[in-house]
Amino acid sequence: MTAGAPAAAGIAPDILDHGLATDLAAAALAIARRFHAGATLWCAAPAWEPHAHHMAVEFVHPVIVGKRALPAFALSGPDLAAQARVAVHAGDLLIAVAAAHDPAAADVMRRAPAWGAHTIWIGSGPRPPGGAADHVLWIGDSDPLTPATGRFVLLYHLLWELTHVCFEHPGLLTAPEPGECAEEVCITCSDEGRLGEVIEPPAGPLDRALIRTADGEEPVDVSLVAPVAPGDLVLVHAGAALTRPA
Amino acid sequence: MSTENTGFLYPFIDAEERDAGPLLASLAASARLKARESAVLQLATLGTCADQIAACAAAMAGRFAAGGRMYAFGNGGSSTDCATFAELFARPPEGRPRGYRALPAMNLAADQAVVTALGNDVGFDLIFSRQIIAHSSPRDIAVAFSTSGSSRDLTTALREASGRGLLTVGFAGYDGGEMARSDAVGYCFVVRSQSVHRIQESQALLGYQLWARTQEALKALREEATS
Repeated sequence: MTAGAPAAAGIAPDILDHGLATDLAAAALAIARRFHAGATLWCAAPAWEPHAHHMAVEFVHPVIVGKRALPAFALSGPDLAAQARVAVHAGDLLIAVAAAHDPAAADVMRRAPAWGAHTIWIGSGPRPPGGAADHVLWIGDSDPLTPATGRFVLLYHLLWELTHVCFEHPGLLTAPEPGECAEEVCITCSDEGRLGEVIEPPAGPLDRALIRTADGEEPVDVSLVAPVAPGDLVLVHAGAALTRPA
Repeated sequence: MSTENTGFLYPFIDAEERDAGPLLASLAASARLKARESAVLQLATLGTCADQIAACAAAMAGRFAAGGRMYAFGNGGSSTDCATFAELFARPPEGRPRGYRALPAMNLAADQAVVTALGNDVGFDLIFSRQIIAHSSPRDIAVAFSTSGSSRDLTTALREASGRGLLTVGFAGYDGGEMARSDAVGYCFVVRSQSVHRIQESQALLGYQLWARTQEALKALREEATS
């Protein structure tokens, strides 16, 4: 595209800059791959719930005739983490439209790795910390009114459009993503431990807790981090909870 | 698989495609192009609708100042855009310009009991018009969001609202459809595009501008009243 085309006069050249476009492309391919593997998309927007519903309806009832209907639900209600915890299965997708400081969105994004969910976070203003979601699609603009101007609508429309382009590339839907662990043993992962969420604390001092990780539910020795309560997050390595995430 | 190597003819439907790099690059380029199209359409639409936005905002401010309420309604993605629009009025975010106030605005698609009761008992085309009959007074405002401009449940509700003296506002796409031709729609904002997505992106910005102008008009009314 030629920069400064006459029709674009007056439009901010960074309406969708190269970095954000690249992030969108990567997110779309990740979404297509997970849908291909049977994922459901869970949509949240705690402070602007209509965005959650809009994202879900895009995927469930495509505006373009002939595009696949895909499983997507809006999560709305008073306790997002409680809803997401029971709704999300390992391999699912969780997308949020929210500011970085939104406590409900930040909470589910933090827990999502324990549920095995792949996460996409759309927002504006100050960015969430690095690694807060698998895909961070961010608009730098700090205007608190941005969520009502259509800029988020553009982002999730594009995400839907690009996801469906990916379905036309069947050979790429099953390939591992760059940086993803393709091997059973991964040095990086084994060093870091897996995020787990406490389901049931130990019944007694010598018992183990029931912990949910991306791999399922498992009994884990929590003596190093005791006492634990349901919902607490821990890092699990070799059958023991070594620490709590920072 | 066929032994003939014909994959080069159909690079994008090749099940053997393994390198995601070219796809990712073309997706990113496509995203930027579409975003640019969206922005160009937004600018063009705001330009075309500028006078209408000012007039409509003044009329809405008059209704709100007189104690009126706003009812917003739409179908599908447009129902969520009208919900965002209604929320902007009823629950404007912190950090908004000084003097911008919360105003009574309801999204008529929000109540699943009412929508399903009406849809089941009297038919989908009447889900919004029956609510207008139940709720409205002549000083109120009805705002419909549509991309086609012709959805029956919306045009029926606008007709009902107009007959009852409400200020009626329609957001449409394509050529404006039924809404643009109807004498029951006081102000009709048409986003001239063939893409549902690009239409909705422009409607969101139009709605935002309408809200901001209405707030400015209300501020001016208050200043007039106290001077």
